[in-house]
Amino acid sequence: MKMIVVHWRVTAALVIREMSVRFGRKPGGYVWAVLDPAAHILLLTLIFQTLTRTPALGTSFALFFATGYLGFHFYQATANYVNSAIKSNRSLLTYPNVAPIDTIVARAILQIITTAFVATIVLTALQLRLRVPQTVTFPPLIEAATLAALLGVSVGLFNNVMFQKYPLYEQIYNIVHRPLFMISGIFFLPDAIPNPYRDIVLLNPLVHVTMLFRTGFYPSYRATGLDMGYLTLFVVSALIVGMTVFTVSSSVLRSE
Amino acid sequence: MIQLRNATKSVNVNGGRVPILAGVDLTLPTGRSVGLLGRNGAGKSTLLRIIAGTNRLDSGRIVRSGTISWPLGFKGGFQSSMSGAQNVRFVARIYGATTAELVDYVEDFAELGAFYHEPVSTYSSGMRARLAFGLSMGINFDCYLIDEVTAVGDRNFKKKCNAAFAAKLGRADIIMVSHSIGTLREYCHSGVVMEQGILTYFDDIEEAIRVHEANMDAR
Repeated sequence: MKMIVVHWRVTAALVIREMSVRFGRKPGGYVWAVLDPAAHILLLTLIFQTLTRTPALGTSFALFFATGYLGFHFYQATANYVNSAIKSNRSLLTYPNVAPIDTIVARAILQIITTAFVATIVLTALQLRLRVPQTVTFPPLIEAATLAALLGVSVGLFNNVMFQKYPLYEQIYNIVHRPLFMISGIFFLPDAIPNPYRDIVLLNPLVHVTMLFRTGFYPSYRATGLDMGYLTLFVVSALIVGMTVFTVSSSVLRSE
Repeated sequence: MIQLRNATKSVNVNGGRVPILAGVDLTLPTGRSVGLLGRNGAGKSTLLRIIAGTNRLDSGRIVRSGTISWPLGFKGGFQSSMSGAQNVRFVARIYGATTAELVDYVEDFAELGAFYHEPVSTYSSGMRARLAFGLSMGINFDCYLIDEVTAVGDRNFKKKCNAAFAAKLGRADIIMVSHSIGTLREYCHSGVVMEQGILTYFDDIEEAIRVHEANMDAR
């Protein structure tokens, strides 16, 4: 019981610390953590809108792009932020109260809340520009965001150990991870791809995340190929692998 | 009280494993302040981290009673991008101390002036040490772990440190690593000599010092 209290206290202190450090030096502080990605997504949306007029779904390309990107962003932002949780808090690990997992939990909580704000701002801004606002069903949005964020945490748990053990892996990870953006169904609908290739595209769990996220915005979207069982199983397995690697390597994390 | 039961620990040095604890049974009783003696690389700092709980034993058990501080050292566990005050607030939160009270106490104790609100990366090593010392004195522990730091700064600051320290010693124990025999004599009742993974407890620090010096002369 006392241990849980300490974990909770440390995690809360770390959340405050991360908030003050991330954007603490600029005027406006934490607000930038939300505004920066929101502006980035809105800008990307505008750029792609001028290139393509007709979306694969609905009538607004902006909404099509943003709904795909935001689902993906719940994964990517969480993974990117959690990846360096230990490295950025290394000196605080000299306090016996601070457990390595606390730094992960703190960053995950902070990033999920931040991304939720970002998503709300972006989607509200786009909704206001539509002539006929979309009716939004929240359960698939929450489900997609949760699974995406958990996958991000799993990858982060794994990477905190592996980046430190194998610096070369970090290079390879960065190269492989970058184009994930292109193949995760943000620009295209996997449903429309002919079959031998569609099955390959559907191996990527993030494709299922973007599909699931879009079903919350497009009531008539059938999301052919969306496999909730596959997505959930993938995320749960990733979480188990991530936590196992992280727990087994605790001595590496505190650099004994 | 701190008790090691059949404790083993070895660390990697240049690809080989060097034993620090080789099946050690040791009891450090409450009410006795203990100095750790041993040659460079014997594992004194590692033992402090094991007692603190940041490093783990390879096998065996460690039993602790009472609250134990983090190992207080020259570098201090400071996040260099945060200011001194922010670091103090963080520590207050993780140890459940009153934030404002500790911030004021350390500001007063460490005498950092305007630097208190600047990032720790801008501090000199003396300023860091003063912050570290003030911070640990601001929280009450039953046992303080001290790694090569007792008094830092100029003569006035040293006096203040010694006074704070002496006040603590009435209520708390210390476990101290120091290369200065004089410092150990001043603060410790008992001693532990570490030599090649074997730990020997001496109730009298003078005896520990004699054995340690004999060890050093022998090799």
